[in-house]
Amino acid sequence: MLKLNHVTKKFGELVAVNDLSFAVEAGQVFGIAGPNGAGKSTVYNLITGFYPFEGEIAFEGRNIAGRQPHEISKLGIARTFQIPQTFPSLTVEQSVGVGNRFGARGRFDPAYVESILAFMELTPVRHEPTGQLSLLDKKRLMMGAALATRPKILMLDEPMAGSNSNEIRSLMESIRRINAEMGITIIIIEHFMKVLTELTSTLLIIETGTKVCMGDPETVVNDPEVIECYLGESYG
Amino acid sequence: MSWQRMAAIMGVVYGIVAILPLFVGDIRFIMQILIICLIWAVVASCWDVIMGFAGIFSFGQVAFFVIGAYTSGIFAVSWQVPAVLAILMAGLFTAGMGVLVGLPCLKLAGPYVALVTFGVHMTLMPLLRGDIGIALGSGGSVGILTIPPITLFGYAFSSANIIPTFYLTLALAVTCSVVILVVINSYWGTAFLALKDSEEFAVSLGISAFKYKLMVFALTSFLTGVVGAYYGHYIGMLSTRMLELDLFVTLMVMLVVGGIGKFPGAILGAFITVTVNELLAPLGSYRAVTMGALVVILVLLLPNGVMGFWLRRSKAGATST
Ligand SMILES: Nc1ncnc2c1ncn2[C@@H]1O[C@H](COP(=O)(O)OP(=O)(O)O)[C@@H](O)[C@H]1O
Ligand SMILES: [Mg+2]
Repeated sequence: MLKLNHVTKKFGELVAVNDLSFAVEAGQVFGIAGPNGAGKSTVYNLITGFYPFEGEIAFEGRNIAGRQPHEISKLGIARTFQIPQTFPSLTVEQSVGVGNRFGARGRFDPAYVESILAFMELTPVRHEPTGQLSLLDKKRLMMGAALATRPKILMLDEPMAGSNSNEIRSLMESIRRINAEMGITIIIIEHFMKVLTELTSTLLIIETGTKVCMGDPETVVNDPEVIECYLGESYG
Repeated sequence: MSWQRMAAIMGVVYGIVAILPLFVGDIRFIMQILIICLIWAVVASCWDVIMGFAGIFSFGQVAFFVIGAYTSGIFAVSWQVPAVLAILMAGLFTAGMGVLVGLPCLKLAGPYVALVTFGVHMTLMPLLRGDIGIALGSGGSVGILTIPPITLFGYAFSSANIIPTFYLTLALAVTCSVVILVVINSYWGTAFLALKDSEEFAVSLGISAFKYKLMVFALTSFLTGVVGAYYGHYIGMLSTRMLELDLFVTLMVMLVVGGIGKFPGAILGAFITVTVNELLAPLGSYRAVTMGALVVILVLLLPNGVMGFWLRRSKAGATST
């Protein structure tokens, strides 16, 4: 469904993503992990058209390199941001509406927005301005707005960061249902290994922009190289 | 603020203004001030749309006003184009200039947008006074002195017929304000606000930053150009004097007094600022200083302008009852 082919991104001298190739299959939950600064968020920024890069990114067989972020959104690729983004001038309902109005392939559908608000448990705060939401609600809002674009693939950037264990359980359940019930392919960047091993079917580990290892999560977390570069001796 | 509320406030303000001629209709000087208030109300509102709603720090508002005024003046004087047509053409030309100025601003951060747009303002005076301007018909440092008034069905709207001219100006101001009201409450307005709040989030949800930012430039410069052109035909003459700083600053004061991003606050701001400015006239050379001091005090006391203050009051009132 989504395929990166020898993708490289340099910021001046710094090589943030280095000759990276991987493929995500339709319907799967695909995990990405790696130390801070490994280039994970940059990979999202390349897929969603925020920066030019070398190499090729194909979505459903089409090369999408060079497209603008809003065009990528209309192709059916949605994402969230590591640093929670909101629209303080808009209410929760309006913000989710933005995704449906501008991103969705198809007409603006208030009933669909309604169902997303309910699904993300945002109905009680629907009229609140988004700037004042709790961290958890901000994350739900970002996911809700992304879902409102009716994506084929949803890319989450560290959705669990800063959450307690109850919140993590609730977010994990939402992600599972987005994948299973809505049939949306998911890519998730996460530091919590337990989240990744429970949710994902394929796990990619990158370090300094380079692929270290990729495979089913159980195998990957026991890979000696992964343990050395990322998980450390104490894991397991 | 809901659109119903914006419309209600606009309706009340313009409604009051509409009946004022019953009381002051024979005081020419006051009627002239009211006409000027209506003109600045639109210009300040346009500035609020681009700066307050879209978050684009455009400082080209007076420049667009002057471009509209001169374009229409030149069309009417050098080419004998009828005033109404000249005004429309000036609006379209100014919109085109707005888009041209907007293009380099798309990728720039706020302070640089302010520099680029104010740069346009700065180049306008030497351009209009210099050889290029004179060749185009700007009249150089003298300006254009004989701009014909708007004529509709054989009736001339000039300062000689002050009451009909007042109502024509009111109709123009109401029309422009309604356009602004509709736009900022449509999904365009939502796109402007979303891009202002978080451009990366907005574009990731499918909003084209390119399209909507240029649309803001086009819309606000079109309306500003039309009103500038109208102003030229009303006053009957133009000079580059408008490009000096005091008009720019007065406009900014209107916006701050009304509340940035608090449409229709800018309309109130225009009326309040012009009125206070006139009331301070007896102070002579102390007027500007006093006005400046009042603005400083106002900003400190009411950082969101009169509109912000009023909204907060009414909210507090609603929750305490
Ligand atoms: N816009 C940018 N300009 C310059 N350097 C950047 C930019 N974005 C990311 N980087 C650098 O690229 C590297 C990878 O960053 P990032 O993808 O955010 O890492 P991760 O998400 O894996 O923590 C870091 O060294 C970061 O400083
Ligand atoms: Mg990151």
